[in-house]
This record gives sequence, structure tokens and C-alpha cells, in this order.
Amino acid sequence: MTPTLGGVHIFYNKGLWRIGVAAEFAGFPRPDGSAGARNTVLVLSILGLTGASARRIARQVPGTTLMSLAVGRGQFGEDRALLRRMLVGLGRNANAAAVLLVGADRLRLDAIAEGIADTGKPVETVALDDCHEDNLALSERGVRIAAKLVRDASRIRRQVLPASMLRVGIECGHTDATSGIAANPLAGRVADRLVDAGGAVVFGETMEWLGAEEVLAARAATPEVGRLIVAAVLQREAWAAASGEDLTGNNPGQENIRGGISSIEEKSLGAIAKGGSRPVRGVVSHAAPLPGPGLWVMQGPSFSPPSITGFVAAGSQMTMFTTGAGNSYCDALAPTVKVSANPATVRRLATQIDFDGSGVLEGTRDPEEAADALFAQLLDHASGSATWGEVLDEGEYAFARLGADF
Amino acid sequence: MQRWQFLVLKPEDDVATALGDVPAGEAAIRIGEQVERLVLPAPIPLGHKIARHAIARGAVIRKYGAPIGEATADIAAGAHVHVHNLRSRRARRT
Repeated sequence: MTPTLGGVHIFYNKGLWRIGVAAEFAGFPRPDGSAGARNTVLVLSILGLTGASARRIARQVPGTTLMSLAVGRGQFGEDRALLRRMLVGLGRNANAAAVLLVGADRLRLDAIAEGIADTGKPVETVALDDCHEDNLALSERGVRIAAKLVRDASRIRRQVLPASMLRVGIECGHTDATSGIAANPLAGRVADRLVDAGGAVVFGETMEWLGAEEVLAARAATPEVGRLIVAAVLQREAWAAASGEDLTGNNPGQENIRGGISSIEEKSLGAIAKGGSRPVRGVVSHAAPLPGPGLWVMQGPSFSPPSITGFVAAGSQMTMFTTGAGNSYCDALAPTVKVSANPATVRRLATQIDFDGSGVLEGTRDPEEAADALFAQLLDHASGSATWGEVLDEGEYAFARLGADF
Repeated sequence: MQRWQFLVLKPEDDVATALGDVPAGEAAIRIGEQVERLVLPAPIPLGHKIARHAIARGAVIRKYGAPIGEATADIAAGAHVHVHNLRSRRARRT
């Protein structure tokens, strides 16, 4: 953390000590030293059997956020490890003040709870086993516990904290050619600002490094990280080629093609701009916790819902989401700031796009000034200002899978 | 009104990208500090690409200074470059 004196920020950059306005946000302090941009109680059903009970709990207790895993038995190997990492990671996310785990058997609930408990936040569990398989008894018990967790969480106050405590996942969706030229480079400039302030940034969508892997690898902090980036891309490419599917029409999808993108290479070269220009410190597995500050890339699917859920399980408290044609998807736990540089999209989707970057595309706005404004807006949303997606309750989540079930 | 309707991202690129919906006829293309002129045979929508120069079938096509695919037909200068005459060189079964 860099020293801050009454909102004035002293930092070292390009060989000089400098003084500037501190990059700060108002966050909810957590016992493990992290900070939430939101202060919800996460109701997390760890298998499909208890999803309906979890939904009843979340509906009856305002102030909660529902997530439920559709599967939960019959998984094995890497897939099972991934699902466990996701459940534990979502529970650990600093935007959750407390967690209520809902499940069938006590053994598995306790195993997930144990993974979250060392954050110091309250973690409670309700099990069908303890209710003689009575689903209404399960939700009634859950409502009472969730209500207490919400009441306790309401006592936590926001404090002014350094932006170094923020982790931001950056995604692009319904990309058109304006994304690669303007919106993604704009997001990248904001990523640079956050990394320079000591925060962490992650972007993923491995398939969208394809054709740009050498450019991305050249930005790796070490040659080994560069090799891992290229290896991750070649593995995805081999999967895609072995499937016999033509990527064109799938990725780029039809909306990308309408927007002028002709190939995965073109899409990727535009997509990697959203990570900015700082060194890539490492390649993390899908949903694995970010090991520290700086820029990271995450292996994972290209579809926004599971991609972003992976960032949130890795600890992102905020999501920055660039779009060309418009895309309404938002994360349920990490508020999603929508950025577009397509002038028609910004005009048409006045209650979807949070930040208008069209001036950058049209050459009427200085990209650095626009990045300062977007960074300030990101910190403002992190401090509690609602995104359009929050106002409209667009928050969702999706669990990625690595295998089939027994 | 902007003085150019297309942008070339890197000097070695074979294509220029439309910064708005551009009608057929003469168009200006910005490359760094320079402006090139071309005649478009057809209108080009926002974000779509045109060839800066004639591109032969089979040639690699560059944007962002890197290959984005290869030409599947001869492409005239000023013509629309998209999935009808460009295909990806990656993730293809050989």
C-alpha cells in the first residue's frame, strides 16, 4: 500500500516520486483485510437438490444474493476440483459479508464451509440431513439464519480505502470492431491505472487470445509465463480443431460478424487490448484466487457468464465489461460496469451502457481523459453507486464445467 | 464532420476499418498522421473493413500489425473485406 495523507497520494512512477489525488474507494472492511464493494449475504446452494430451498430463503430475506449449483453429485477429477474451487471462491469474495451454505449432507457442506471460514466472515450451513429431508423445514431454518446474518452485516460501515484493495475482472461481450479499436483499449488504460495503484486485474477467455498469443506472450513478466500463455492457446486450438466445428460463426459469433469481425484472430487482437499494457504476471486456472496485485490472465471459457463467474470466484469485487452491439449480462455478486464506444449502441441502450466511450472512437475525446473518467466512475461504483445492471436486477452467474457426470 | 472515415491501426496493415457508416464513393483513410484516399464501390457499415490495396487470393491479411486470416478470393482496393473473402488460418482441421 502506498502512503496516503488526507486524500493526497504519494507514489513512485517512472523514476520519480509524484503527488496526486489518491485512488480510493469506500468499501466494507472484512476481517481478512480485504474489502467489499457490496455488503450482501450470499445464499449458496451447493447442489441442485437444494436449489429451490435456497431460492425460497433468498426471496424471503432482502439483502441476500442467491447462487446455486445445478449439479453436485457424480463429478470427479478436475471437474469436481473446479466446482469446489468455484463454491469456495464465491463464498470468499469480499462482496459477501457472510455466507449461508445450503446442501443435502453435512459432510460436504462442512468441507465447503471450511474453505471459506479462514476469511473470518460468518459462514453458516443448513443441511437436508438435519431436517429429515423436509425441504420446507430446510428453508424455514435457512430464513431465520439468513435474517440474522443480514441484520449483523448491516452494522458494517463503508470506509475510505486505497484502490489497491480492488480486484477487477475485465470481460468483453457482443464485441464489434469498435470494441477492439476503442472500448477495449479504454478498458486497458483503466486496467493500467488500477495496476499502478497497486490493485489487481484479470481477464480470461482463452480462445480470444488465439491469433494474438504471441503479442500477449511478449507482455509476460517472465519467459515462463509467456510459454504458459502460448501453451494454453494451443491446447484450446487443438480442442477446437478436433471438434471439427468451424470457429467462424461460433467465435466470432453472428453478432461479432455483423459488427465487422471476420475471424478469431481479428477478434483476439482487439480483445487482448482490454488488459492494458502492464506485464502479465501469470496464468491462473479458472476460478483460482489471484495470487497478488498486478495483471493476470485466467484460463477459461469465452462465454461471458462463466468467464465472469470465474473472475468473481477468484476474488473480483467489480467487473468492467466492454461491448460493441450491447450486452445486458451482469454478475450477481460483482457489479458490472458496461462500456461501449459504438455511438449507435450508446444512444440505443441508455439504460444498459454505464460509460459512453464513443468520443474516443470518433476522435473527439482524448483517450487518456476518457480513461481518467472511467477509472473515477469505476471507483464510484465500487463505493456504492448502482450500475444499470444492479438497478435492473440483471445479476446472474454460471458455473463452468470441465467434464461429464457419472 | 470528420476528415477521414477509415482508420488503419498499424502501417503494415492491409485493411482499414470504418469509423462510421460510410457511403460509396471517395473516402479518406487515416494512417498515423497521414491520410490516403480511395474510392469505395459500395457503402461500408461501421466497424467493417476495406482493402487498402489489391490483395491476391491466398495472401495473408493483416490488421493490428498481425495476421487476421487469408484471402479466399482476389480483393480489389477499396472492396469490403469480410467472411466472404477472408478466412481464419487458425483452429482448422487439416
